[in-house]
This record gives sequence, C-alpha cells and structure tokens, in this order.
Amino acid sequence: MFKFALKNILFYRGRSIATFILTFISSVLLILFISMQDGSHNSMLKNSLKIYTGAIEIYHKGYRDIGGNEYLIQDTKSIMEKLAKIDAIEAFSSRYETYGLLSNGEHSAASMVAGVSPNKEMVLSSLHLALKEGKFLDENSGNSIYMGSELAKKLKLHVGDEVAFVGGASDNSFAADIFRVCGIFKTGLFEFDSSVSFLSRSYFDELMYAKNRASYINIKLKNLDDLDRVNSEIVRIINDKNLESLTWKTLMDTMVEAMEVDNIFGYISLSLFLVVIFFVIMIYDFINISSRIKEFGVLRCVGLSKKNIFALLFYEIFILSSLAVVIAAPIATCICYYYSINPIVINGIAEMYRDYGVVSDEIPFSFSIPTILWNLSIIYLLNFLSILYPYFYINSFKPIEATRHV
Amino acid sequence: MNKIIFLISIIMTQLMADEAHDIIKKLDENFRGRNVYMQVSMKVVSMGHERVMRMQSFSQGNKKSFVKIIYPPKDSGITFLSLDNQMWQYVPKIERVIKIPPSMMLQKWMGSDITNDDMVRQSSIVEDYEPRIIKRAGTVVTIELLPKLGAPVVWGKIITNVDTATYTSNRDIFYDEENKEVRFFIYEKVKKVGKYYIPTYWKVGSSDALDKFTEIVLEEIEYDTGVYDEYFTKNALKRFSK
Repeated sequence: MFKFALKNILFYRGRSIATFILTFISSVLLILFISMQDGSHNSMLKNSLKIYTGAIEIYHKGYRDIGGNEYLIQDTKSIMEKLAKIDAIEAFSSRYETYGLLSNGEHSAASMVAGVSPNKEMVLSSLHLALKEGKFLDENSGNSIYMGSELAKKLKLHVGDEVAFVGGASDNSFAADIFRVCGIFKTGLFEFDSSVSFLSRSYFDELMYAKNRASYINIKLKNLDDLDRVNSEIVRIINDKNLESLTWKTLMDTMVEAMEVDNIFGYISLSLFLVVIFFVIMIYDFINISSRIKEFGVLRCVGLSKKNIFALLFYEIFILSSLAVVIAAPIATCICYYYSINPIVINGIAEMYRDYGVVSDEIPFSFSIPTILWNLSIIYLLNFLSILYPYFYINSFKPIEATRHV
Repeated sequence: MNKIIFLISIIMTQLMADEAHDIIKKLDENFRGRNVYMQVSMKVVSMGHERVMRMQSFSQGNKKSFVKIIYPPKDSGITFLSLDNQMWQYVPKIERVIKIPPSMMLQKWMGSDITNDDMVRQSSIVEDYEPRIIKRAGTVVTIELLPKLGAPVVWGKIITNVDTATYTSNRDIFYDEENKEVRFFIYEKVKKVGKYYIPTYWKVGSSDALDKFTEIVLEEIEYDTGVYDEYFTKNALKRFSK
C-alpha cells in the first residue's frame, strides 16, 4: 500500500507539490512564530528581573500585604548561611527598604530608600548599568545616595548635591540624615525612576538600626528554568513558617498576566493561520480525491477494503508531510538557533532604547527542541485531519456507483 | 394636609441638620478651644512590642499647630508646625527644616496608627464634613459625617457617637471611599478643664489589625491661655526644639 501511495504522489504531481509547499511553509512559520513569541517573553522577563526584582525573594509573612517594621526579617544572617548551601543559586543579597521623606530646600518628595550591598547588587540587578550621571555606590560610599532621574528632577538635585532624609528607623524611632547624591539612574520605568533611591547597606544599617534585619532577601538563579525546584528547596532548607519564599511569577503577577494575555492573543492569531492552512490542504485533498472517485471505486471492486483505502490516503499524506517536515525542521531550527544567539535588533529605535538604560532593544528567539517537536506534531496532526472529510466523502459512494462516477 | 406634612418634614429635616451642625461644632470646640496646650503620652502596641513617646502640642483653631517631641531622648527636640494647610518638620540631628508634602499627610506617624494629619489636626470635621444625625440613645447621638464636595479629605465617611451631656465623642469610626471600615478611635475618661470637656484616654487602631493599636493619654491640658502665637512661625521649629 505504501508503494501504491508513492506512485499516486508521483502521478498527481500538482496536488503533491501544493500539499508539500503548504506543509513546508506552515511548519517553518509556526516554528518561527512560537520561537519569537517565547523569546520576546523570556527577554521581557529577563529585563524586568535584571532591573530590580529577583527570580526568588524571601519575605516575612505579612510584609508584602501589611508592611511595617514588625514584618521585617529579623535574622538575615542565618537564612543567608542556609542559602549559601544551595548550588543552583548564583547570587543572593538582603535589602532593607523604607519609605521616607527626601527634602532639598522647599522641595520635598516621598521616596522608597533602599539599603543594598553594592558589590552583590552588581551581580543581582542592572541598577549599575542604568547609571546616567555620576557613579554607582560602593561598599564604602557612606552617605552617598544613588537616585532615580525623575526623583532627582522633582527635588532639583544634581550629582554632588546634599539632600535631607527623614524616615522611621526599624525600631520606629525617627531616622534623619544628610545624604550626598553620587549618581543618577534611569531605567525607563517611570514609577521606579521617580520614587526610588539607594544607599550602601553598611551605612544605611547604622542609620536605620537595621543590622541583620532586612525587608527581604533577593535571589538570582544560575538557570531560570530551575525556578520551582529551587524555590521548593529554599522553603525546605529555611523551614520557618513565618517566612515565605516567592518566585517572580508571584512577585510580578501583573507582568505574568500581561504575558498570558499576549500568549492567548498570539495563539488566537496562530490558530486562525493554522485553520486557513488546514482548510487549504483539505480542499486540495478533497478536489484531488473527488477527481479520483472512479479510481477508488475500481480499487474497491478488485477487493480493497475501506481500511485499505484509508491506509492509502494516510500513506500519501504521511509521505508528503514527512518530506515537507524533514526539510522545514532543520531550516526553521537553524533560523531559531541563529536568532537566539544573534537577536534581531530594531535599529530604528535602538538609540531611543539605549537612552532608557537597561531596557533592551533586542528581540531574541527562543531555541527549544521540545517546542520545535510539538510544533511539528501539530502540523502532522492537521495534515492527517485534513484527509478525514475526503475519506468519508468517497466512502459515501458504493463501489459500483463509484466506478461509474464522472 | 399633604402640604402641611411636607412643610413639617422640611422644617424637621432642617432642625435636625442644624442640631447635627451644632453638636459637631460644640464637639470641635471641646477639642480645640480657642487655643489649647496639651502634653501627650503615646504608646504604640504592635505584635507584642511597645514603644512610648511623649510630646507637647500647641494649637490655635485648625490652621495653626505646633508639636514637639520630648521623649524618648533620641527623638527629643523634633518639632512639627502646621500653618494654613502646610506642614514642616525640624530635625535637630540634621538641623534642617523639611516641608512635608500634602501627599504624606495621611502617612502613619512613626509606626503608630495616627497620621501626620491627626498630629496637627489639619482637616476639620466642622468645615470639611456635612453632619447628619442617624441615631439617638439617651444623651448619646450617632452622627454620620460625609465629606463636602471638594473638601481636601480622604475619608469616605465618619461615624461618631457624641455624648451631648459633655459634647465629647466616645467612639469614631472611619470609612474609606468604598465604605469599608478602616480605623477607629475610642475615647474614655472625660475630664472637665475650665469650661471644656475632653476625653483624656484615646485608643486608635486599624479595623483589620486588632493586635496593633495606639494609646494616647492627655497628661496635661490648658485651654485659652492665649500666649501661643510665638509657636506658629517657621523660626519656632528650631527655637523651641531645644
């Protein structure tokens, strides 16, 4: 039956070429579309995680919902010692965040002031890359403050200027100091740039009575794919019911929702495309098979069963699909691989993007063999489904009736 | 007949509105006098921890207010001034006067359940809210206060229980704009000081965190001494900090 199918493919060349081309194009486009969609989501996520949010963050329960000094992590050191034992973690650091008032003369603004460890922060986040003016913090930068560009603009501050700070220390007493602006950053995230500033923890801890206390611990993983496994390990190792370890999926739920919505719209447009491909192949098959009713009638008369006819059609579509997929898969895979290493750069807006510091202007593709394989499976499935209707159509004829069909 | 009933109902509504206004005005007068000096002790209780602060407060109407922290020693000398809807703070450690933006008036004050606005009592229940009597029980009248159109307040509604024997409140409940109960003030131990009555024990808490609350005790109160003008200038922030 296989040889018979092969002969039919060669005999009905027009139909075979059309099916081959359609299958080839849809395979390549499907693989590239999914690869680009996944790649841009991964890129969006990596950029956001790079700026400030960690892949995993450990909090005292209640800190995120209620907030306040009562919900600070009280023994940061012991948790950090435990985290150091987990291989899959690339880097981690504690941060102390507080909301206070920054003032320069008559200009005042509320700000989230965060105490960070500058050296560790250079591995954990891209804050240092967002520098626009001045310099980033270092471990001994004392009362130097690294400030968002919009906040600096609001307070009429420049590098080297002094700014007064008043806030609540970790024991709820007043904390006040004069800081000197060492650097101004711009991430492109307006809210972040207009309300956040940073100091070196070694100095800030003294001011805030925050030694060994932290708002949360920020963790960067060696491989983001290990997220859930490492998070479970952290929960097990820390073993403290007052603490919670949250992944970026919870921390950045708004972004996750946006990505899910984007995925849904992506899949809707993709399914429309696939439906069109499916109907085109099916119509081609149907026209072809309709013109072969007489042939199928004769085959039934000489003893071929309905099963044999189905097998014949199945082999025909299988050979054509396989041929198209075998050629499409390496081409699409190579393109995905190339653009995963050399992302597409949108030259027209590259300069504008660079003005926003760490926001990337690249659209990398995702290279994942399992994803490519399931994309090809979809193409196979659609092709096999496309022969069902023509098959039922020819079966609606009795063999003798079919032999007389014109 | 219908016209008479309609007329009577209008007159009754007007009288009740006037009475509500009258009660709220007398309540506010008891709190503020023409001017008032208080020494206040404040205890913040949260998750088993306690913190005590002491401060002196001078105010004249609802436009002028001066507060100085006198305990604990670490915070002693920090002063606050509120003048015509603007607020400043002086911190001796950095020797700076800092202007507090209006957006921070409702920020909680040093981990307590009171806000910057409560500290300087900038918003006025007489000027900013429209009162309506909703219940009477003996001498206690329950009044609903709804913000006037365009009033610079954030509470969606305040319900206050006023004892008309002394014109003091025994309980205020604050609601947000979605009509959700947010916080409460409980007032006890009413004392007569001169011609004014004032509760000397206040308990403030968030409605959704009952294990966290702030207790305020008015240790000293002096009304209408009329010598506070010198406190209501920006220079006073530094001068009276010592």
